[in-house]
Amino acid sequence: MDNTFKNTEKLYRVVYPSEVADIFWKIDGTVSSAAFADPKGLSVDRGDYRSDEEVISVMRSRFMGHIISVYVKNCIDTNAIVLYKPSRSNQYHSEIHGSTDRAILSKSQRVHLARCAEILTPRPIN
Amino acid sequence: MIVKQMDLRSNIRKYFDIAYEGETVIVPRKQDHNVVIISEDEYNRLTQAGRLNDYAQALSELRDRKKRLINERGSSLRSHNADKLSAIRSFGANWNGNGAPAFSAKLIDSVGTLIAELDIQPEIFPTAMGTIQLEYDNSRHDHMEIEIADESPEAEVFTVKFNGEEEYGYIPASADAINDKVLDFYG
Repeated sequence: MDNTFKNTEKLYRVVYPSEVADIFWKIDGTVSSAAFADPKGLSVDRGDYRSDEEVISVMRSRFMGHIISVYVKNCIDTNAIVLYKPSRSNQYHSEIHGSTDRAILSKSQRVHLARCAEILTPRPIN
Repeated sequence: MIVKQMDLRSNIRKYFDIAYEGETVIVPRKQDHNVVIISEDEYNRLTQAGRLNDYAQALSELRDRKKRLINERGSSLRSHNADKLSAIRSFGANWNGNGAPAFSAKLIDSVGTLIAELDIQPEIFPTAMGTIQLEYDNSRHDHMEIEIADESPEAEVFTVKFNGEEEYGYIPASADAINDKVLDFYG
């Protein structure tokens, strides 16, 4: 893997905090754009064309919380930047930034990604 | 028949034909500045028969229905929001696993007071910047976010209309200002 992403690659995000993972879920079952706000950039795991099941299984071993995904194309469409930032403990770690010089996504970008997001783990029942 | 202004605009001939055939077309508008379309024959008949009161009553029922729906939605959401605020209050530093700050008690208290005074309840969400986001979605698929920050006299408003048109702005972080903005949003 290198710092190139194809439009069709999926990016996976854990929604924190795990104790109240439904805090970002809207009444209509979609996820709020607030879940995409992070001044340090939005941490994700790149899919590298693994199956959803495989990615979820690996992420579950490291994180609690629910998992959502977006495509790289969804980021490109809203002029967000996807950066490959592997760490020693996670070779898939990547970040979505608002632009080359701004880590946080704009409100417009957050709403766009929230609308495109696929919720992979079931919405908890309130 | 009740028709949205947007539908009327796109199908004006169709609704004029319906009105001409004798059916009453009611067009709800913001601040209850509603409009009724009827045929000329019906208008003449009504002015002669003095039955305009029936239409005034129909409009009054429409307004009551709208208020009832808003109140029903509001009471369950209000209690849901109070529960959410309690949960957000308990978040410690780094609640998002990426260094997000804990929420100030003052912000949670002021959002709690705001929520209690809002005519139409939003959905509320925490953000990793230590702010609280109020969200509204209307039946036209427009989306509005109002971000409340600690110690800030203003709230940031972001709206995305169904056609993708976006609008940024600031309003006073008060229940009156938010109520006005929300009323306008629901039009």
